[in-house]
Amino acid sequence: MSKADELRQRAKRRKIAIQAGLIALSALVILGAFTTARTNLEAQGLTSGFGFLERSTGWDYSFSLVPKTIMDPYSQTLFVGFLNTLFVGFIAIFLTTLFGFIIGTARDASNIAIKTAATVYVQIFRNIPLILQLVFLYAVLINLPGPRQAMSMADTIFLSNRGLMLPGLSVTPGVAVALLLASIALGVVLISRKIPLIHGVLGWVGGSILMCIVAAIAMRPEGATLVTIPELKGLRFRGGITIPIELVGMIVAITLYGSAYIAEVVRGGLAQVPKGLTEAGQALGLSKGAIWSRIKMPMALRSIIPPLGNQWIFMMKATTIGVAIGFSDLFYIVSISITQSGQTLELIAILAGAFLLVNGGLAVFTNWLNARMKLKAH
Amino acid sequence: MFKEMSLKSVAAAALALLPVTAVAESPTVQQIKERGTLLCSGHNGSYFGFVEVNDKNEWKGLDIDLCRALTTAILGDPNANQIVPLSWAQRFPALQSGDVDLIIKATGWTMGRDTELGLQFSLPYFFGGTQFMAHGDLGITEAKDLDGGTICVEAGTTIERIAANYLSTLGVEHTMVSYESAAELRAAYVANRCDAFAGWGPNLAVLRATEIDNPDAHVILNDQLSSEPISAAMRQGDEEFVDVVNWMLAAMLIAEEEGVTMANVEDMAANPPNPKVARLLGSEPGMGERLGLRDTWAREMIAAVGNFGEVYDRNLGANSPYKLDRGLNNLWSHGGVLYAPILD
Repeated sequence: MSKADELRQRAKRRKIAIQAGLIALSALVILGAFTTARTNLEAQGLTSGFGFLERSTGWDYSFSLVPKTIMDPYSQTLFVGFLNTLFVGFIAIFLTTLFGFIIGTARDASNIAIKTAATVYVQIFRNIPLILQLVFLYAVLINLPGPRQAMSMADTIFLSNRGLMLPGLSVTPGVAVALLLASIALGVVLISRKIPLIHGVLGWVGGSILMCIVAAIAMRPEGATLVTIPELKGLRFRGGITIPIELVGMIVAITLYGSAYIAEVVRGGLAQVPKGLTEAGQALGLSKGAIWSRIKMPMALRSIIPPLGNQWIFMMKATTIGVAIGFSDLFYIVSISITQSGQTLELIAILAGAFLLVNGGLAVFTNWLNARMKLKAH
Repeated sequence: MFKEMSLKSVAAAALALLPVTAVAESPTVQQIKERGTLLCSGHNGSYFGFVEVNDKNEWKGLDIDLCRALTTAILGDPNANQIVPLSWAQRFPALQSGDVDLIIKATGWTMGRDTELGLQFSLPYFFGGTQFMAHGDLGITEAKDLDGGTICVEAGTTIERIAANYLSTLGVEHTMVSYESAAELRAAYVANRCDAFAGWGPNLAVLRATEIDNPDAHVILNDQLSSEPISAAMRQGDEEFVDVVNWMLAAMLIAEEEGVTMANVEDMAANPPNPKVARLLGSEPGMGERLGLRDTWAREMIAAVGNFGEVYDRNLGANSPYKLDRGLNNLWSHGGVLYAPILD
């Protein structure tokens, strides 16, 4: 064995020893934390374990996509919170991505007015803490007129301090969730088929609308109209879809804030496209739109997607601000469960696990998207 | 010398054979008399209706008046007390360490406090429970009219559970919005985000009187969802002091029952309508010596602060800004749950 090989062997052994040591140390720390927690809990006469998940909660909360009662066990209530977080998170991701691309493109525009407006928007909303924006927005929203004096648009859309009332399809919530999932699936299929951007977006919107119409015709309950329109009865609106004002506040606040960040990511991506490519497009006499959709955006997407995935994960985590305005996202449900049941460690573990799951999934999706978009020649 | 000694011992023996009339005086009462002041619990700020500071920097409220009543009973002067400002968390340690003689501060009688904290509780003098307050323009008086409405509540409290349970029993379809911050909750109710607000009855009345622009535009609904007994708390081990506090409260209730008020107490004492009033006001002996106090303590006390009804109305009820209905806090003979032990 040569001297070099021996040195290499030694270095390898040393590396293995250091890693083993680190793993052993981490295991020791985790074990120590667990035993200390267990001992302290026992000393204080506190019970630990997940038995409480079967107990009914006995308290109510504001928003749920599925029917709920106060007899629901903690497990069911936490699941509702998880669904709410996913719901707000995905709506926010969709809207921030949409507006982020529009505003990011505007930041790159040659028209000074559009560019300045976009810059002012980004600087305002990016630099004020999200929680402050939410609390301010909520204070404005709850001072809108009450349901009896609701602002209306053609007597079909109403906005009051209780929420936004929209006409809805006469389908059960289950069918609505299925439609939502089908629409997401359609989007994924369109991306994986590498359909050109504009066609893809049009196909996705058109396909989603078509699915809704088909579902409304096929799945509506006996004798119901195709669409229900909200109507004021007693203390509140009935019929249609009511989006509670807390949910409106959450979506608007996160969208305003997140769009500013994504706009910066998009602007950065567009700025990396070599100037020569744009000039080549101009030389060929392509329109501005064609240069954007066929040259700049496809090139920019490669550098946009990895930081965009980061922003998506951040949007999902931003749903935890619901607790400030009484929106029942997962963090809110967990924090009330802690005060009502006293099972702090277990509930925090559930919260952490749920976010790891969702954001891990988002990270995997981003990686997949990135791999799909990679220029094959490079 | 010897003669004298034997005379003294005979006298002592004779005294010992006599029936014991004067009760051993409570060490706390003894201490208060020596000090010349009663140390009562205050609040770090104002807890409206119960313990509050007025614009002349004077303490007032239901609990303060009860402290003044006790001061008069023991020392004969309503002002011979000192109100020690305490936070909620400080009140029990302050009592145990002797910083105050007793706690009269909207304190609920719970098993934990009675046993683990080593306290003794007096007769309950107030019953407060979860109630709803609603916007008056809805024109409702009962919780069952809240059908379809939105109810706001503070998150993570017992009120949240009690309200949810009650509305579910009534089968009232509703939306519950719960806030972690009390300020956010008040803002949401005031902005009409919710039709009703679930909270502790007295707090709702105070909120209505102090933080809402037009108090008449809000109604506290008739439904009483729960009830929590509020008592004075004392250190364990001084039963005679508990007797004094209990009979201070009892005398105020008996006075109300018999129609003895701040205004007519002297006339009533001069011409008692019945033996009970005569005993109560010290027109005939027996009231004082059994507690180690003066016979006229109750008369002086009522002259200084009034009977229980007067104290209630002045601080929480009709004559106060809060206009809290007496409800459960009326005498048993008027549909409430307050009663006095028998004065014999």
